[in-house]
Amino acid sequence: MTDTGTLIRLMLPVAVPIAAGIVFLTGKRLRTDRKASAAALLAALGLELALVLGACASGGAAVLWQLTDTLVLALRVDGVGRLFSLLTASVWLLVGLYSVSYMAHDQRSSQFFGWYLIVEGVLIGLDFSGNLVTMYVFYELMTLTSLPLVLHERTHEAVMAGLKYLFYSVAGAFLALFGIFFLAGTAGDLTFVPGGMSALESTLGSTLGSGAEGGLMRAAVFCMLIGFGAKAGMFPLHGWLPTAHPAAPSPASAVLSGVITKSGVLAVIRVIYFVVGPEMIRGTWVQQAWICLTLLTVFLGSMMAYKEPVLKKRLAYSTVSQVSYILFGLSLLEPTAFVGALSHIVFHSLIKNVLFLSAGAVILITGWKRVEEMRGLGSIMPAMLGCYTLVSLGLVGIPPFSGFVSKWYLASGALASGTGVWEAAGPAVLLVSALLTAGYLLPLAIQGFLPGAGSVREYQAADPDEGELAEAGQSWQCREPSAWMLVPAGIMTAATLAFGLFPGPLVRFLTEIAQAVL
Amino acid sequence: MAAVLANSLIIAWILYAHMGDRLVLFRLFGTLTVQFRPDPMGGVFAGLIAVLWPLATLYSLSYMEKDPRKTTFFAYYVMTYGVTAGIALAGNLVTLYFFYEMLTLVTFPLVLHPMTKAAARASRKYLYYSIGGAAFAFIGLIFVLNYSAAGNTEFVPGGILSPAAAAGSEGVLLLAYVLAFFGFGVKAALFPVHGWLPSAAVAPTPVTALLHAVAVVKSGAFAILRLTYYNYGTGFLKGTWAQWTVMAAALITIVFASTTAVREIHWKRRLAYSTVSNLSYILFGAAVMTPLGLAAALCHMVAHAFMKIASFFCAGAVMHQTGKTYVYELDGLGRKMPVTFGCLTVASLSLMGIPLFAGFISKWNLAQAGLQYAASFGDGGAGSVLPLAGVAVILYSALMTGIYMLTVLVRAYFPREAGAAAGRESAGGTEDGHPVTDPDWRMLVPLVIFAAVILALGLHSAPLMELLGRIGGEAA
Repeated sequence: MTDTGTLIRLMLPVAVPIAAGIVFLTGKRLRTDRKASAAALLAALGLELALVLGACASGGAAVLWQLTDTLVLALRVDGVGRLFSLLTASVWLLVGLYSVSYMAHDQRSSQFFGWYLIVEGVLIGLDFSGNLVTMYVFYELMTLTSLPLVLHERTHEAVMAGLKYLFYSVAGAFLALFGIFFLAGTAGDLTFVPGGMSALESTLGSTLGSGAEGGLMRAAVFCMLIGFGAKAGMFPLHGWLPTAHPAAPSPASAVLSGVITKSGVLAVIRVIYFVVGPEMIRGTWVQQAWICLTLLTVFLGSMMAYKEPVLKKRLAYSTVSQVSYILFGLSLLEPTAFVGALSHIVFHSLIKNVLFLSAGAVILITGWKRVEEMRGLGSIMPAMLGCYTLVSLGLVGIPPFSGFVSKWYLASGALASGTGVWEAAGPAVLLVSALLTAGYLLPLAIQGFLPGAGSVREYQAADPDEGELAEAGQSWQCREPSAWMLVPAGIMTAATLAFGLFPGPLVRFLTEIAQAVL
Repeated sequence: MAAVLANSLIIAWILYAHMGDRLVLFRLFGTLTVQFRPDPMGGVFAGLIAVLWPLATLYSLSYMEKDPRKTTFFAYYVMTYGVTAGIALAGNLVTLYFFYEMLTLVTFPLVLHPMTKAAARASRKYLYYSIGGAAFAFIGLIFVLNYSAAGNTEFVPGGILSPAAAAGSEGVLLLAYVLAFFGFGVKAALFPVHGWLPSAAVAPTPVTALLHAVAVVKSGAFAILRLTYYNYGTGFLKGTWAQWTVMAAALITIVFASTTAVREIHWKRRLAYSTVSNLSYILFGAAVMTPLGLAAALCHMVAHAFMKIASFFCAGAVMHQTGKTYVYELDGLGRKMPVTFGCLTVASLSLMGIPLFAGFISKWNLAQAGLQYAASFGDGGAGSVLPLAGVAVILYSALMTGIYMLTVLVRAYFPREAGAAAGRESAGGTEDGHPVTDPDWRMLVPLVIFAAVILALGLHSAPLMELLGRIGGEAA
């Protein structure tokens, strides 16, 4: 049933980065020769993007390996897979460009690049998974292979953050595994089918409304939501995110926040829309609890971000809040909200990457980590701060930036969802959170460009004391980060704007997916 | 070494040529005979030890090289092999009991081997616990003998109790079963009689690895499987209070031991607690008393044997090369002993139950067994509570396993920057100043083979599961 050509086309995007990553980890020459290592990294990332494009264009499904009679590892390309894999591969290439420059002074940069590539391969495998078991395999591998990125700095703080990340993720994964055990026992075949498995409906159709079987099934689904929600930073398993993301080097924080949290979202989409089916939980306590948790997370995340003085931590809390926008959209089980959620995946990914990249640039150039130190930043790096400002507006949801589009769909979906009190409460929370988003992102932009009356130094407690500026013995000069860092940020900012101005093609693509699953 | 290899070949030949044959050694009296009768389930256990023993011996040749009393050590080591094979091939409960007692006696000197005060204390503890347990097991033996249909203790799939004789005295029979379960459970380190196992970690690593992770503890589990499926029969036990008692005991053990393992900082003792919890996975499978339950229990028996022996051998290799025994001393060793820690990584991930490794397959089967059994009670049956709890407990324990195994790996591969500078001086070499490296090939070959087997079982478990499924199908 599997032809070799398809298998190879689907396998290559998974295998190539992993193999390249292993070369980085073991190769001696790449450890010493910086230019060769940068060239190899970019070549691998570029090749990967091409391979993913090829796989997405050709599509198809292939059985990879038969673990046991019932456990099959299978790859398949579908709409959701295309969305996620293209997003991953593009973001990875851009952040890869940035990291070449950012990691230039790091002794262990080849290790970083190695794990960076391996994670990409695993993520593509996750995106192309054809059934729940395959997805679980890649999900666990993703946790394990992204751990070295968090641990990279090797400080006490980083190791502790890494362990916290590990334990939360593993706990979440095992919670989800409980659900998988249960589904496998009840439904047997766990292949992804748009709209959920008919087999499941026929076995449980009679007991949907009542009975312990249906009740247990819903409990199992809820376990999976919480478990996979851990990766997406959903309350109550969100605690690792604000610790782990800032501990990693900035390019890693960018992809952790921008892309890897989305794999939790992907897992939730697969479970709800492709395995159990939305009808299974519509109107039940599972949906109610899920909506409630996502809104709580949206609000709490924004509040925490508003109170947080350290920029990277603030951005991490912002991720907690924003990823739950996506989960909120999914929890409504409504096509418009679904489109909103999927588009917010793309937009938030781009925006959060730019935000973390600029935070990284600030650390690299000036050594500043806290927001109140950054007064007058606009005179040092106007272009980078410009990107920051533009995408911040996007995240707040101001037209014509893309964040507005996704929020529009989310809110109108909520209003049409027929979920009772949440119809109104949902959009209200989103609006409050948007206000808070403006409150925690924009002060940096405002104080950066407009430090107020008087000279900058009056407001500035200390000159830049570490980072490149201090090393060069200069302070308060215009010193943009290198083009390697600026260009990727610029491209993603432009994409944010472009998606906001011309959302049509993307929305049409997502609507097709939504119609298939709902 | 030659003796061990020869014995493995003999076992292979027995399993190949004499499956199902019966060899009566001698008659004690009446129908009470000491006899061998290899069957598929005994074959699984015998095959397992026949693979592990030669490799473990190879490892101990290197590990014990400098030991002045290594001849004594190897003498008992080889004797234990024979006795364990006796347990695996025993044809009835009396024979099994006979070898079971002998196992205690021949392994006692191995625990005592370091001849330190701690070793003396540990071996005494081991002796008292085991003999006490055997006494309880003996009660079960007597009851089986008295109430069996044919007046013997033959292992017959589905049990040998005579319904006519048992009628009216179910209560006392069940009590005897529970007593025997806990009695054999001593060797399988069931809570609250597990205490000897972590103490026995003072023994040389080949002993802790092979005996206390495989041969001895699995003999306990194996005896329980025999008693449950081949003497009492699941038909008699299913749904009774006895089943719930033993299942609850297994679950409590899992939770207790995996939590304790996280708190334990002595590496080998941590692994010993991990053994305690994993042994109770097997007992949980046994207590489910369905075909899949038995198959899953046997599957975990095989998988855990490879995972745990590999982990212990890694710990032993580190002790041998560096003399370090505590988890917090392991900073940065991952790069100095790449092969050892590579194998440890495989074993740890497998113990956690990450897919692609053997541990996932057995965990999957155990969970499916629990869920199927729970589902057999229908809607909201009270009987479904414990099996469901079992699945939850297995996952909780998997999380704990992740914590106690992966902290070791994270330390070894990602030393803290500040700690690494200080650690480099102490971890830089052994006392006599040699740099730390992987051990020699005699220790590495078994490790690499174990890691390969773990991967192979994880990726292609179909033949094994088919065999185990057949065993389960006829016995339950």
